[in-house]
Amino acid sequence: TRSCLLCVKMTKLGFLRLSYEKQDTLLKLLILSMAAHPNTCLNELFLVGSYFNYRTTRFLTEEGFYKFHNWFDDRAWYPLGRIIGGTIYPGLMITSAALYHVLHFFHITIDIRNVCVFLAPLFSSFTAIVTYHFTKELKDAGAGLLAAAMIAVVPGYISRSVAGSYDNEGTILSQRYVVYSNAFKKASIGKVLEFVKYQIETYTLLFKSLVLFLYWLMLGKISPWTGRFYSLLDPSYAKNNIPIIASVSEHQPTTWSSYYFDLQLLVFMFPVGLYYCFNNLSDATIFIIMYGVTSMYFSAVMVRLMLVLAPVMCILSGIGVSQVLTTYMKNLDVSRPDKKSKKQQDSTYPIKNEVASGMILVMAFFLITYTFHSTWVTSEAYSSPSIVLSARGGDGSRIIFDDFREAYYWLRHNTPEDAKVMSWWDYGYQITAMANRTILVDNNTWNNTHISRVGQAMASTEEKAYEIMRELDVSYVLVIFGGLTGYSSDDINKFLWMVRIGGSTDTGRHIKEHDYYTPTGEFRVDREGSPVLLNCLMYKMCYYRFGQVYTEAKRPPGYDRVRNAEIGNKDFELDVLEEAYTTEHWLVRIYKVKDLDNRGLSRT
Amino acid sequence: MWRGGAVRFVLASCVFCASVCADGLVNEDVKRTLDLSSHLAKLTAEIQLANHGAARVSSLTLALEAELAPHLAFIGASVKGEEEEDESLELKETTLHGQSGKFFEAQLPSSLAPGAKLRVKVETVFSHMLKPFPTHITQAERQLVVFQGNHYLYSPYPTRSQTTRVRLTSKTVESYTKLGNPTKSEESIEYGPFKDVPPFSQDDMKIHYENNTPFLTISSVTRTIEVSHWGNIAVEETIDLRHTGAYLKGPFSRYDYQRQSDSGISSVKSFKTILPASAQDVYYRDEIGNISTSHLQVLDDSVEVEIRPRFPLFGGWKTHYIIGYNLPSYEYLYNLGDQYALKMRLVDHVYDDQVIDQLTVKLILPEGARNIHVDTPYPLTRSQDELHYTYLDTFGRPVLVATKNNLVEQHIQDVVVHYTFNKILMLQEPLLVVGAFYILFFTVIIYVRLDFSITKDPAAEVRMKVASITEQVLTLVNKRLGLYRHMDEVVNRYKQSRDTGALNSGRKALEAEHRTLTNDITALQARLKAEGSDLAEKVGEIQKVDSQLKDLVCRCCQEAERLVAGKVKKDTYIDSDKTLSGKRQELVSRIDSLLDAL
Repeated sequence: TRSCLLCVKMTKLGFLRLSYEKQDTLLKLLILSMAAHPNTCLNELFLVGSYFNYRTTRFLTEEGFYKFHNWFDDRAWYPLGRIIGGTIYPGLMITSAALYHVLHFFHITIDIRNVCVFLAPLFSSFTAIVTYHFTKELKDAGAGLLAAAMIAVVPGYISRSVAGSYDNEGTILSQRYVVYSNAFKKASIGKVLEFVKYQIETYTLLFKSLVLFLYWLMLGKISPWTGRFYSLLDPSYAKNNIPIIASVSEHQPTTWSSYYFDLQLLVFMFPVGLYYCFNNLSDATIFIIMYGVTSMYFSAVMVRLMLVLAPVMCILSGIGVSQVLTTYMKNLDVSRPDKKSKKQQDSTYPIKNEVASGMILVMAFFLITYTFHSTWVTSEAYSSPSIVLSARGGDGSRIIFDDFREAYYWLRHNTPEDAKVMSWWDYGYQITAMANRTILVDNNTWNNTHISRVGQAMASTEEKAYEIMRELDVSYVLVIFGGLTGYSSDDINKFLWMVRIGGSTDTGRHIKEHDYYTPTGEFRVDREGSPVLLNCLMYKMCYYRFGQVYTEAKRPPGYDRVRNAEIGNKDFELDVLEEAYTTEHWLVRIYKVKDLDNRGLSRT
Repeated sequence: MWRGGAVRFVLASCVFCASVCADGLVNEDVKRTLDLSSHLAKLTAEIQLANHGAARVSSLTLALEAELAPHLAFIGASVKGEEEEDESLELKETTLHGQSGKFFEAQLPSSLAPGAKLRVKVETVFSHMLKPFPTHITQAERQLVVFQGNHYLYSPYPTRSQTTRVRLTSKTVESYTKLGNPTKSEESIEYGPFKDVPPFSQDDMKIHYENNTPFLTISSVTRTIEVSHWGNIAVEETIDLRHTGAYLKGPFSRYDYQRQSDSGISSVKSFKTILPASAQDVYYRDEIGNISTSHLQVLDDSVEVEIRPRFPLFGGWKTHYIIGYNLPSYEYLYNLGDQYALKMRLVDHVYDDQVIDQLTVKLILPEGARNIHVDTPYPLTRSQDELHYTYLDTFGRPVLVATKNNLVEQHIQDVVVHYTFNKILMLQEPLLVVGAFYILFFTVIIYVRLDFSITKDPAAEVRMKVASITEQVLTLVNKRLGLYRHMDEVVNRYKQSRDTGALNSGRKALEAEHRTLTNDITALQARLKAEGSDLAEKVGEIQKVDSQLKDLVCRCCQEAERLVAGKVKKDTYIDSDKTLSGKRQELVSRIDSLLDAL
């Protein structure tokens, strides 16, 4: 923006006596190129889904399209396997593979990993440009520029489009808006045509875009008409019927604070934009009103759909802010301080100039705070890969917990090539991509029964679990344990979902959720906790030898820093498992399943 | 045959006479030092040689037992001078008929006269000679290893007297062979002296002792050196590391490992890699990203990287990582005209007492390097040269590939690569970039100039035409204003010089140029009118204001003339000049505001 001001000054001073049109183009170009400047940072993949997409892209570039199309993945969902070529949406992978091959054709030897990492920022910069054009169709270029500048920094969209988030969600928006603005371009040509025909055309386009919007929403994740889709229409559907969907934190309803956190100023300017659109009803504004309101509803259903809301928020707020600014900018009378006109002030509108400058100052202040807020949120919350955790030490220094990769890398190099790893499905994609080992269940969650079986193993006693693990041919079990570091999204906190999902199928009828609660209905890991919980496999794997560890001063050994309790079952030995590896901060614990006893005796 | 452990002399008497007596060399006094304090076996022998024969001897033969030979990583011999420096000998592998083992022939710097004596130092390093026993240990146990060697110096010459000193890592020794009743002190065992040992004597020495030093082995390393003539040499090493000590048996307990300092004592947590002092942009990563657990320390003569693998390495565990850095090329690349020479370490330090099972060196030279000639410090296996394509390459960079097995620290030596490179080729890559941008801009220019629309938009066309005309008007009007400023200068000069001729010619020039400019603008105004733009009126207004302005300029001129002629007084002139210039200022600002409105 400073260079813009400089430009304006230069033209004023007559250094560059450009025509207004040229000035306008120059300003637009400057603002857009700034808005479209990609937000790049670390060369790491961030989100869980990215690992799977990265793995498939690498496969595509290495093996070619036909092998990719016929790819049967035996590394996941052991022993079922998964047909990948036929069940995924390959657009993203093909895009990056094509980009990779084009670059390599020109001897620009960029690693496929870097192509994947920087694809999202690339597309998000397209989004900024396309948002400009789209909003320009709706109102004018000023609103377009504001919307583009807003979408360039809005945290709700950045969270999915920073370098490293390699997912359909981040890249899809720009494509969607291309369709929208094309639709409106067509619509404006249509004005020349007969009025009726034009209306029919716009409405079909409108309907098509809505369908496309819904379709794309699901793209890459699930096909329409599955559980997640139902839960969109009826927010309580998943909670009552499909625990596996309800168990994901991204699928929880959005809180008010996260709206403010992700959108800030936009939350307040969104209604202003809506008001403007209602005031100037046309087909385009009706569309954007519908789009805005439906996105609002969807984003309230689950947190992850904040992504859908953020851009439309930017567009509507851009319109709103631009409307406020143009209204008051006109009243602002600073250019010609003529003494005569001052005397002839409008008696119905006193201190017109002062009100106008006050309003503009307030808007400028809001916009500046929005920029600062966005930068802060992005750097604090969305700029570190979820695989690396960090905390502040007692002296204010940064402590990094790189335990996940430590464990995955250990698995990669120090277990047999054909080892099968059992873990909760959350870590599935990461294990296949980083550890390169076969896993039982992963984030694809296509087979509820299989996941349920794993849940049953985790929730059962050692003896029962051993049967299940032998049945599934498991060689290693991996659990996430945060009790030492205070990492709260660990497996003990997810454990109730394992119990629910484990108990939701026929083979797990004996697993009842209430067995894991205290008689008063609490979920506790201390002495008061239910004996079923204190003796199940998950509990034992997490707390094996933890009873001897001093975690906090003035606390007894075995004090769990997440649950804030001294664990109830301390001195036990494992019969069917053996500790194979535990990471430096105990975040990941890997156990080896012992072989059957030579004489066929029971292990327990 | 010697593993039985029985004390046995092997007297190969016939060979002794046939091949050695002829030389007449005798090992008078041998002092051997066997260093077993790391995971390597380093055997150093200081030999006092004497020529008891009748002829001069110009070469000597060094021998290695058949059992040790496959483990040999390095052998070097040097002659100890009286005062001057040690002189290293060049070794050539030979065979001795009828003898098992490995033999090297060394040419002496000067032949040894009968009766003369010579001190020779032979340094050998063996890898994977220390075998863990037991082969599997638990986390709490200490690592015990067995060394099996020879009590005597294996030599084709008879030995008069010899001693062997064995250095160990700890005083815990399970067992050791007791030939000649050796003396054992804290961390060493002294054998000998043994007198009059025949040639090729072998006697089984076996030491079983505790050794918790890091048993790290680089199972393979690929070292890539990419030379750029733009001032940078990029080095990248891809390393496969394995703990080759006793395998870890049973569980790994993090609790014990953190609580007890002697738990997993033979495991490796971290090690130090020493990089060249000028190393920059050091990175340490692996297949799944950056490894955050490493520390870099910049010292005066080197850069030390504390490499901490993601997990501690226990017996049998392995890891894989990549370390890379950049070096400024002026320290390693020398040139004379088109002749270039690169002098770099063929292999570099990874950790102290390193063992590399397999080394692959890839040297990527700049595109266009020819007549490549390599001087290696020791023999390597050269593979087929490859071509490497990277940014802005067209016909590929030549890649030299060489491999070698079983290397140790002594192999950290320089390789020299000579090649010729035509300096004109340096321009190729910038020109390529320039060309690419040229094509890009050119296509954009072409694209913008062409009209791809299906329908004609006359309004837009008119707008564009008008814009171009106004542009021309702008420049012309500005030029005209410039003329007036120029005239002012002429007038000022006239006031000082009183040269009427200059004033008149200046006035004439102004008139002429002003007329052409005004005519041009009028023509443009007519065109604007023809396009139907209302800007024509504004231009007309500018013209009107301008004619007033011009009158003022002329008046200004006349006033000056009158002043010079003495027709007016100075203060009246100053007054009138002030009012005139005020009026002019007003007119100019009016023109400016009109121009802004265009």
